Amino acid sequence: MSDAKAVADRLVKSKRLNALLTPPKELRSALTAQASAARPTGVLYGMPVAVKDNICTLEFTTSCGSRILEGYRSPYEATAVTKLKAAGALIAGKTNCDEFAMGSSTEFSAFGRVLHPIDKTRVPGGSSGGSAALVGSGAVPAALGSETGGSVRQPASFCGVVGIKPTYGRVSRYGLVAFGSSLDQIGVFGRSVHDAARVLSVISGRDPRDATCEDRDPLRLPTVPESLQGFVIGLPREYFPPELDPAVRRACDRAVRLLRDLGAAVREVSLPHTAYAVPTYYVIAPAEASSNLARYDGVRYGPRFDGHADLRGLYRATRGQGFGAEVRRRILVGTYVLSAGFYDAYYRRAQQMRALIAQDFRNVFDRGVDLLFTPTTPSPAFKAGEKLSDPIAMYMSDIFTVTANLAGVPAISLPVGQVKGLPIGGQLIGQAFLEDEMLEAAYALERVVPATDEA
Amino acid sequence: MSVSRDDVLRIAQLAELDVEEDALADIADQMSRILDYVAQLSAMPAPTNGTVKAFVPGPDAIRFRPDEVAPWPLAFGPETFAPAFKDGFFVVPKLGQFDDPAPAEL
Repeated sequence: MSDAKAVADRLVKSKRLNALLTPPKELRSALTAQASAARPTGVLYGMPVAVKDNICTLEFTTSCGSRILEGYRSPYEATAVTKLKAAGALIAGKTNCDEFAMGSSTEFSAFGRVLHPIDKTRVPGGSSGGSAALVGSGAVPAALGSETGGSVRQPASFCGVVGIKPTYGRVSRYGLVAFGSSLDQIGVFGRSVHDAARVLSVISGRDPRDATCEDRDPLRLPTVPESLQGFVIGLPREYFPPELDPAVRRACDRAVRLLRDLGAAVREVSLPHTAYAVPTYYVIAPAEASSNLARYDGVRYGPRFDGHADLRGLYRATRGQGFGAEVRRRILVGTYVLSAGFYDAYYRRAQQMRALIAQDFRNVFDRGVDLLFTPTTPSPAFKAGEKLSDPIAMYMSDIFTVTANLAGVPAISLPVGQVKGLPIGGQLIGQAFLEDEMLEAAYALERVVPATDEA
Repeated sequence: MSVSRDDVLRIAQLAELDVEEDALADIADQMSRILDYVAQLSAMPAPTNGTVKAFVPGPDAIRFRPDEVAPWPLAFGPETFAPAFKDGFFVVPKLGQFDDPAPAEL
């Protein structure tokens, strides 16, 4: 089918980005087979959707950007992928990502870093950097990513595309390789709010195979509102610190003026525990990761790093050689904070802080605020290599996104301006399971914001 | 520095992870920086009204599925993706020594 050929051609052309892990030949034959099987009545008929490499597919390998799963072919596919196919979408290959979704720059993939689609000396963000770069370069209209601390919204912001993290429990995680189970959600990238929203609508809804997925109907798409009359939008002061990049501030100030012009009531609010969000996240996420990644042992799947006399030697060699530096670091930190004598000081504290962070959001929403508007990231895309030797600096690029994961609420990043040609993202954070309200505001803002103008 | 070279070795043993000798100093340094950074959580004032209830998003209660035999959910079996598989079993080296001396208190 010529459609499938055109889709494959566009993806192969973007090869220099290193965003796609699927080899061209395999991609072409899989796309052709899918195109001839796709149901023409599906709401996404013919739409190519690239899928992050930590989401299981039958057509392609699922390596999570890791040597420890290199060449792994899953015997089942994610519910989100099944739903996309049932809606007529074409699964357009697997996208490069930070190993096991641990990173904020897609420099921690075992298969090489992903280039920013506009400036190859910069990072596309992460961990879903391959998906963001492919949508940003125009190779596909939409892609799936995954979020644990901002891994869809942060790269969406860096690459000038729309990224949505749904409410925890909105989308089935069956077939999403687990990282931090109390935080993980499948998210969506799109060229526009509408592209992302319609993919989200298709993959959302109940799934008997995932007990953490809520028993709800799929998300219904709102219409584009004429105005935002009646909306109350809060600006959390902790998200506009003095050290915020001046261009990011200018672009966000302009977006806020536009929200007011659209009729929304805008008021300053406070989420007082925001400063503790990144440390809380970097206790909880590694703790859960150390437990989730215990399953990679060289026995049941993936390659085995052999040559050891006993089973324990096999485990240690496979895990030691199979995991990259950042994953090893997080497994070690996670094991440390859960170990006897340290659990109370780190993990229990972090759990308590998480409760306070979630309460901050409830307090604001209980006082009549419908949505929050913030910058998505403290700066535009940074240079490759800039934060590699400093894990804390890398972690801080998630400072405005981790809170929504900790609180389980939905959020969307959309382009609100540029600085020297580099995109700047603005974020709307909504209330749990009120993605429709969040999307209404995003639709309205997207229509008026000069996303490609210098801020 | 809050994490020593020996701490890294003990934690790596708990995590069943080989760590190269020449990477130990670097890992100890980076773990220390991360743990010192997250230690700011201990500056949080202790809850005054008893305990703060832990927050986990998601459904309040576990939904039970009907107890029915479902069809085999896998498109193919472990013989195609296991590193070593024979006659219905995963093949592994002998168990060997599993009772390491208990790690000393950190």
